[in-house]
Amino acid sequence: MNALNIQDLNVNIEGKPILKNFSLTVPKGEVHALMGPNGTGKSTLAKALAGHEAYEITGGKALLDGADLVGLEPDEIARAGLFMAFQYPSEIPGVSIANFIRAAIQARLPEGENLQATAYYKELYDKMDALAIDRKFTSRAVNEGFSGGEKKRCEILQMMMLKPAYAILDETDSGLDIDALKIVSQGVNAMRGPDMGTLIITHYQRLLNYIQPDKVHVMWDGRIVRSGGKELALELEEKGYDWVKEELAAATA
Amino acid sequence: MHQDTSSAPTTTQVDILSGDTFQKHQASMPSNAWMQAQQAAAWNTFKSLPMPKRTEERWRFAQTVGLSLEGYTLQDKPADAEAILAQSAHLEDYAGRLIFADGHLLAKDAISEELAAQGVLWLSLEEALHSKPELLERYLFSLSTQLGSDKFEALGRAYARAGSILYVPKDVQVKSPFVAYHWASQEGASIFPQTLIIAETTSQVSLVDFYLSASGAPALACGSSHVHAGPGAKVFRKSIQNWSRKTHSFQSDTHTTERDAELYSLAVHLGGEYARFENDVEITGAGSHAKLYSLTVADDKQMFDQRSLQRHQAPNATSDLLYKNALCDTAKTIFSGMICVGKQAQQTDAYQTNRNLLLNPSAEAISLPGLEIEANDVKCSHGSTSGQIDESELFYMLARGIPKPVAQKLLTFGFFEEVIAKVDDPALADNLRLMVEEKFATREH
Amino acid sequence: MQEKPSIDIDRSKGDFHYETDYAYDAGLGLSEKTVNYIADVKEEDDWIRDFRLKALRIFQEKPLPTHWASEDLLSINFDKIRYYLSKGQQPSRTWEEVPDDIKKTFERLGIPEQERKFLAGVEAQFDSEAAYSRMKDNLAKDGVIFVGSTEGLMKHPEIFRKFFGKVIPTGDNKFSALNSAVFSGGSFIYIPPGVKVKQPLQAYFRINAENFGQFERTLIIADEGAEVTYMEGCTAPKFETTTLHSAVVELVALKGAKIQYITVQNWSNNVFNLVTKRGLAEEEAEIRWIDCNIGSRLTMKYPGVILKGRKARGEVLSIALAGDGQHQDTGAKMIHAADETSSNIIAKSISLGTGRSSYRGLVHIPKHLKNCKNNTECDALLINSNSRTDTYPAIDVRGERNSVQHEASVSKVSAEQIFYMQQRGLSEAEAMSLSVNGFINDLVREFPMEYSVELKRLIELEMEGSVG
Repeated sequence: MNALNIQDLNVNIEGKPILKNFSLTVPKGEVHALMGPNGTGKSTLAKALAGHEAYEITGGKALLDGADLVGLEPDEIARAGLFMAFQYPSEIPGVSIANFIRAAIQARLPEGENLQATAYYKELYDKMDALAIDRKFTSRAVNEGFSGGEKKRCEILQMMMLKPAYAILDETDSGLDIDALKIVSQGVNAMRGPDMGTLIITHYQRLLNYIQPDKVHVMWDGRIVRSGGKELALELEEKGYDWVKEELAAATA
Repeated sequence: MHQDTSSAPTTTQVDILSGDTFQKHQASMPSNAWMQAQQAAAWNTFKSLPMPKRTEERWRFAQTVGLSLEGYTLQDKPADAEAILAQSAHLEDYAGRLIFADGHLLAKDAISEELAAQGVLWLSLEEALHSKPELLERYLFSLSTQLGSDKFEALGRAYARAGSILYVPKDVQVKSPFVAYHWASQEGASIFPQTLIIAETTSQVSLVDFYLSASGAPALACGSSHVHAGPGAKVFRKSIQNWSRKTHSFQSDTHTTERDAELYSLAVHLGGEYARFENDVEITGAGSHAKLYSLTVADDKQMFDQRSLQRHQAPNATSDLLYKNALCDTAKTIFSGMICVGKQAQQTDAYQTNRNLLLNPSAEAISLPGLEIEANDVKCSHGSTSGQIDESELFYMLARGIPKPVAQKLLTFGFFEEVIAKVDDPALADNLRLMVEEKFATREH
Repeated sequence: MQEKPSIDIDRSKGDFHYETDYAYDAGLGLSEKTVNYIADVKEEDDWIRDFRLKALRIFQEKPLPTHWASEDLLSINFDKIRYYLSKGQQPSRTWEEVPDDIKKTFERLGIPEQERKFLAGVEAQFDSEAAYSRMKDNLAKDGVIFVGSTEGLMKHPEIFRKFFGKVIPTGDNKFSALNSAVFSGGSFIYIPPGVKVKQPLQAYFRINAENFGQFERTLIIADEGAEVTYMEGCTAPKFETTTLHSAVVELVALKGAKIQYITVQNWSNNVFNLVTKRGLAEEEAEIRWIDCNIGSRLTMKYPGVILKGRKARGEVLSIALAGDGQHQDTGAKMIHAADETSSNIIAKSISLGTGRSSYRGLVHIPKHLKNCKNNTECDALLINSNSRTDTYPAIDVRGERNSVQHEASVSKVSAEQIFYMQQRGLSEAEAMSLSVNGFINDLVREFPMEYSVELKRLIELEMEGSVG
């Protein structure tokens, strides 16, 4: 099955359960939004799928086109085709963006094959132009001294260069002004197509004005409690998260 | 205030290096077998150790040649006790006060009944030997300096009599500071001030030690202080040193912090001909926090020799040191600081900053900031700068019409303010500013 | 977390050994006899012999500096070392003339190839003596002298004797005394006024024999306005027994001259590398040490500059990499002795496994000086939880309008950083290698291209599972 298929995933942090039988399927070619109040486990999902060692997967599966990601090293997961745009991207002093992305692409090439430098730089510059990133940034160290907006654009640049099969955007919209938000959205929309599935994690409906999701999921206490079309996001915006909470309480009462 | 009018001990102007003097001192001490043994052992240690040499790493750059312990004596109570008492008034509000001169207790302000009822103890060393020997056995002399003054520390212990013992029980928070005065008065006097603060779990207390001279006479001071900050306790200890210009002083402080304790140490150094200050903080509890501040104003041929050690032996702790020195004339300062982070002390944050302001081309500032790091997940840094008043700052002030000497003075006091601002007692802070100003005022004449 | 010695340095390049016959061997141990033997073999003038004998006495009197330095010095057995070994050869001017067994070694190390590519002159020392020494013809026409130490003292005393042993006196430390007693090999270089040597001169030091000590002596004099870059490289096979390398290097930059001295030290980790290096910079002269220490068991080396003339500049850029069982004890000394002199020290160290890196520094500005500046930065990177780093600077400042700044920091490669890079598909080892290279990147940029490539290759690290 061509999808990112998460089945009954359970994740603990320091022994405390955060994701509880979490299930979600993002078929290739679709864009899904995952919404929910702070502390419901949205970012935990992203980090756990990416293989961060602090997030202990105690049960369930995460199938990427049918192959389970659980237990793989973070770089194996990345090379298998899952990209994560970080909520708080790390700074890497002394390593330039150009060298960093180049090393990441090189890691995906078969043994003995080398990246074509001219083609690489042409593509890099094209994409930087598209994201309105100054070309001078190629020689700057990854994320070092970047503003919040610059960091997020740099994440999208990496995504565009690495062309993953699936991407998880973890709160990519937080801390962005409206212009930066538009640029980031353009980047995501440009990637949209039959070859990529995208999961956008966000707290705010605002981003979805620029990226139209095929489906919207609402998360509460470690699992999805409601799914629907993009109208669900508008409903959430109008009624607030308390509405979900009340509905949930009514349903379980 | 209770004035001590008991008859003076039998020691009259006797050389401290002679065994007879020590015997007489021992005989005059309260009869406590533990203390007698401690002091005898300290005397032997003192006798067996050689005088330090500059070739020793812990005495690197120090002027050890002129250092001598010859000619100092044990003294009777000074005749000018009334004057001394009158001058022992830098703080308006205090929880308790002890005033010593030439090694003798002159007066004591006891603590309130309220504090006594909470179990707070505020005793002179001699009192404590009578009433709380078990406390002394556990804590007094329990740590020794690792910074080089072993010989002087031993001498101080052998002759220890003047000292303040402060005990604060669990959860007790004492707002007002405790104050101790150690005066040197008579010609050739030797004094051996001791301070011991035991702050039990989550208690809070502060103490100020004043080390002062009542005359311009030569004197020797070998003192120690020890703060034991229990779990979650918060202790602020300040020391203000303004000895006569003929005094040689060796102060060795050793402090320990238990889990989550906060220790603040602030030292001001103004007096003395040669003054060595060792500050050794042993961080034994996870999550504890030590801040070490020092301010020194050196002029004439004064020599201030400062050695510090931040010993991290537990994880998640922080320590931060700021030593500032201003130097005039041909004065010399040495700052030798070391941060040691042991293998077990992961997630340590440790910092060390030494700033030297050179106000005369002949003044000499030596800085030896060191790091020894054996844990890898740590944030440690040190910085050291030595230089003159910033030319652009000076120009900015001149451009506003401020005369040069005034501008220089303002900038110099601005340099001190960073440390003085850490003093939480406004009256004491003002007194410190006055003392620093006085030192500068006497220079202008 | 893993405590395995997870990162290893590529030292395979120098780890080979061809059997060699020696015509001259001073035998094991050090005595007046040894020193006389060396002076005899080299047919030295009496004043050199006397210089050596006096140095021997100083060496014998001086204790090992273990009151501040590593106790590991005690494991050097001075009686189990051979102090002079040679085939009795004069350095050849062409590679064809170099004896086969020696030539094979240098070819394998790639020296003739480097010479063709980018060097203006090469001296290749094999144990105690140079096997090959040659510089481009045009340099000789300009009056450049590039010879071995003995030849320099004997044939050009008017140039070299004046400064020989003056920048670093024999008694500076125990090991400078040792070198002064038994020195052999090294380069004596003189660049005449105004001559700017564009391509670097290179020396390559090869230890081939077991239980051997190499004691080369180098003196470089750049006359007024002259410029030169000198590079040295070194390797030794890995023996079970300890090997000693104790060089003395003196630089003299006369008015307006510039000397850049580059070292890439990659001794095998049975070598004690105890080296004294110091330069003297006259008015407006500039001396720059680029010092990279990757190999050896224990290195103790603190390149220094005496800033003797007004506006002289001194710089030390240092990279140290201490792997498992290694101790890189390195640093810098800046002795300001004239107004308006400036110095800059940037030292970066990486400790991995049980490796220990120490920085020792000295900055001295005496009271009669004005407008001097020093800036020092030391950064240490710790990779494993059993790695260690120390910083021991000494700063002594007097005088007017002088300013001194020292900053040091200790950091590690964070687990979050590695995770971020892994998320982009890099293996943990690649991520670590990128981070480590990033840490030293700004310094490596200061190296000539050919050497920065070499350096990066040396730090090809094998670091699976090393974050911890």
